[in-house]
Amino acid sequence: MKEKQTPRARLNRKRVEPYIWLLPSILLMGVMILVPIFSVFQTSFSEISKSGINKGFNGGVNYLWVFQNPTFWNTLKNTVIWTIVVVGISTVLGIILGLVLNEKFHGRKLVRAIVVFPWATALIIQSVIWKYIINADYGALNALLYKLGIIKSYVNWTATPEQFFAWECFVGILVTVPFVTFCVLSGLQSIDTSLYEAADVDGATFWSRLFKVTLPLLMPSLTVSTVLNIIYVFNSFPIIWTISKGDPADQTHTLVTYLYKLSFTNQKVGEAAAVSVVGFVILAACASVYMVITLRSEKEE
Amino acid sequence: MRARRSPWARVALYLFVFVVCIVILYPYFVMFTTAAKSNEAMYAVGEDAVLLPAVWQWSNFIDIWKEAAVFKYLLNSFIVAGGATFLAILCGIPAAYALSRMRFKGKGLFMGAVIMSQMFSPVVLLVGIYRLMTALHLTNSLIGLILLNAAFNQAFAIWLLRGTFTSISSEMEQAAKIDGCGTVQALLRVLLPVSAPGIVTTLIFVFINSWNEYTIALTLISSDVFKPITVGINVFYGFNFIKWQYLFATSIFATIPVVILFLCIEKHLVAGLTSGGVKG
Repeated sequence: MKEKQTPRARLNRKRVEPYIWLLPSILLMGVMILVPIFSVFQTSFSEISKSGINKGFNGGVNYLWVFQNPTFWNTLKNTVIWTIVVVGISTVLGIILGLVLNEKFHGRKLVRAIVVFPWATALIIQSVIWKYIINADYGALNALLYKLGIIKSYVNWTATPEQFFAWECFVGILVTVPFVTFCVLSGLQSIDTSLYEAADVDGATFWSRLFKVTLPLLMPSLTVSTVLNIIYVFNSFPIIWTISKGDPADQTHTLVTYLYKLSFTNQKVGEAAAVSVVGFVILAACASVYMVITLRSEKEE
Repeated sequence: MRARRSPWARVALYLFVFVVCIVILYPYFVMFTTAAKSNEAMYAVGEDAVLLPAVWQWSNFIDIWKEAAVFKYLLNSFIVAGGATFLAILCGIPAAYALSRMRFKGKGLFMGAVIMSQMFSPVVLLVGIYRLMTALHLTNSLIGLILLNAAFNQAFAIWLLRGTFTSISSEMEQAAKIDGCGTVQALLRVLLPVSAPGIVTTLIFVFINSWNEYTIALTLISSDVFKPITVGINVFYGFNFIKWQYLFATSIFATIPVVILFLCIEKHLVAGLTSGGVKG
């Protein structure tokens, strides 16, 4: 077969071939990701009846409703706090834990394995366990502290929306730290140990070694982990949906739980789509930063 | 190599590690002990509360299979995660191969699109996904979940596989081609066997992601018959009465396999993800 092809046909074949290899992947992502993206945009500019029927273009009515809604602004504020607090604290803790796990000590392998747990466990299961732990009436934390004699009577750990949200942030941090830790560990392995020897010769202290040698060289790993975490945490749904469902009084929503409630509980599909688009815009900004960084680091290699 | 640590630094290190382990393990401790509590022990408070069950009620681990369609949920999760993994790899291998071995126009654009797609989580797209799946009659269907999980893991699959392929020299394939192998044969017979560790890492990672997926399934699946385990555990979560011990007993079955799988790939996975997959 091959020998019979004219040179021109072979050239054409060579030109087309890569796209054939990409085709299954393009089809899969095109239908399952691209179509929903278009659908969300279209829906956000349409009037959708309670029964889900599209009644056509309605301009920016959905957006107007969203932007005039105080809950949306509170949600947006929560989303920013949630993302910054969870990613920020996780990154700091992850760096410390990564540095510690890079030291040699007894039981290091075991600790490494333990740190994997929260990363591998389904978020929904982690969330359900913590919902039970902080339960005010019969929760495990109350029982533990009572038995230890630390509290004299059971405490309502989630009396205010702020407390609810703080617990959600705590769970968010707990499940995010492992990823940072392992990124740091992987970054540390690529640091040339002779740099530390040189630093020792210069009489560098622990802190100057940390800030002048280790952290700057960890930056590439940390950039990747931070950008990915911003996106994961921003999009994280199960923790908040399980622990507080955005309540009390819609005070603890982030964008994703808010849009879920709008769409699937309140049947406000058009408005929910508008909230999604706001989410897109924020995410797209983060994603383009990530893309620029990855493609640039790729060129350097 | 390193400066000698003072004894205090050593104590601080152990203390820090100890606290971290306690915080991480505490929810698992609660899950295991609660799963084996009787209903009375479960809701006992104050003086009566127990940290460890006085009588370990192992029967909970047997009762769950009768109380709810737990086996069906686990089977559904297995089908969805297995199917999604297979599909993601089937589409991902040729794409990763083209990206690592061929030059063509629009390569950068495709790579950019892949990275961007990774950023759009299913949650922000739920409204669109729901409408699409309704139009395709794929709500309440395992096939729908397989397609979506495969698509949303495509970026990771391509990324990890491309990294693996790029780290392997193409000399052997070229030699195989000189011996008369076609491109497809060279890929199947030469490249894939050598890339086995990277492929296995990718397989397991996509499997775990799909197994743990919750939001899409929650949105699309209302029929009990098609629920995966992450959504299925909600049956123990009624409005008036929560059967925590069953909920946690079931969660244990849903958690152990994926944690073990994850421990197997952790080293390869992190290297692949952080280096942008370049080193594989």
